Amino acid sequence: MADGCDMPPGKPMSAEKTVIDKGAEMLQSLKPLKHFKQQFCSFALFSHDPIRQIETHHFCSRLNHDFHQCAVYNSDSTSAQLIGVEYVISESLFKTLSPEERKLWHSHAHEVKTGLLACPRVPESLYRKEIAEFAKTYGKFWCTWQVDRGDRLPMGPPALMASPQGVNLGWVRPDLVKKRDDRYGISAAELREKRADIEEPDTIEGSNADYWVKCGKGFSVDVVETAMNLRAPFP
Amino acid sequence: MAATTQVDMPGKPTETVTAVLDTATAAIQNFHPINKIHQHLCAFHFYGDDMTRQVEAHHFCSHQSEDLRQCLIYDGDGPDARLIGVEYLVSEELFLALPEAEKPLWHSHEYEVRSGVLFMPRVPGPIERRALEQVCRTYGKTFHFWQVDRGDRLPLGPPQLMMALTRDGQLREDLAKDVESRYGVSFEKEREKREYMEGQAKGIHPLANGAGKGLRLVLTEVDLPPVSSVPRAFV
Repeated sequence: MADGCDMPPGKPMSAEKTVIDKGAEMLQSLKPLKHFKQQFCSFALFSHDPIRQIETHHFCSRLNHDFHQCAVYNSDSTSAQLIGVEYVISESLFKTLSPEERKLWHSHAHEVKTGLLACPRVPESLYRKEIAEFAKTYGKFWCTWQVDRGDRLPMGPPALMASPQGVNLGWVRPDLVKKRDDRYGISAAELREKRADIEEPDTIEGSNADYWVKCGKGFSVDVVETAMNLRAPFP
Repeated sequence: MAATTQVDMPGKPTETVTAVLDTATAAIQNFHPINKIHQHLCAFHFYGDDMTRQVEAHHFCSHQSEDLRQCLIYDGDGPDARLIGVEYLVSEELFLALPEAEKPLWHSHEYEVRSGVLFMPRVPGPIERRALEQVCRTYGKTFHFWQVDRGDRLPLGPPQLMMALTRDGQLREDLAKDVESRYGVSFEKEREKREYMEGQAKGIHPLANGAGKGLRLVLTEVDLPPVSSVPRAFV
């Protein structure tokens, strides 16, 4: 189990509440959820503090060829905590972003080629084409529950996440990788060898992705009090 | 029954071969955290600093315990719905245990449920009311990442703290009528049937709902240690 996976706060579901929920569930169609087709495991860093690194489990649905939206959890078990959302876009969509917006996005090539990103249980050959394309995509990942620092409930504003990169502050700790690899009986090192020939993405003029690597600055998110624009009294 | 804020997604349509591969790999993987999502709630959120900007919010929720739910927020309930945010729901007991500085980020649900504005699509009234009796007493924390209401075709900019309706007169009449007509519901009629429901036992906490203030999330660039300041750790 990934860190932070102890019992959730609160009482276990009572039989009565489970029955009520089941009755309602049978009548609802839950269509958006049927489109979750991709699942992978990787690692991410906090952009304001890259020393803090977490294992992530992405469940993605594809809206079209160039766009995925992912629910991110801290494990792939039934007790997994929802820790954030990541959007994944192709190079061509990334090029449409403004320079300021691009600072919030990260590249995926490093985590693909080093074997950090894995699809446990799926033969590599089956998703080889996908992974080669993924290596050329960009992601924007907001973490809403910082389980790695022991939060038993989601606290504070979301944090912007960064991806592992080939610089010292961007390497993922070997103990985290080993823990993940042992759990699934896989090896990042082996995946790295198999993926050696995966193409790097093109260099984009004025990219600004992985901004922290180039400029030594991360992003913190703060809550600021302001006047609410009202149309009726509040609260 | 798609939400009326749908716009075309930028990007190319999914190729058939990709769709087939997606289905093949999905058959091998487990999707435990997604499969656990069992409940669809429809409600409205507004921006934490701007009540005039309101969004129809479709929640797809799972229970972590009887006191804690985690939800994916979509802008509609169709197969092309966009994942726009997350919400966590906690019991009154868990809310009261939160630090004082954290409480303003959470909103109460009593008004939304008792007014009929929060509902479970396609679930008959009696079952729906049993399920919502508990929601009535909870607090929620919601972040959106995609400002679809201003026409953003991609998730741009910083995350947004969202708030929920707390009294009559706040909800835009056009949004209300649109939802009522699409789902064949009447908020007014449902309100009468929900008069018996009870909100928080200790009343709505004065620090909830932004403590009555507008709240905004701000991104700030922060200095990081030089990327070479940690020894290379990954082998």
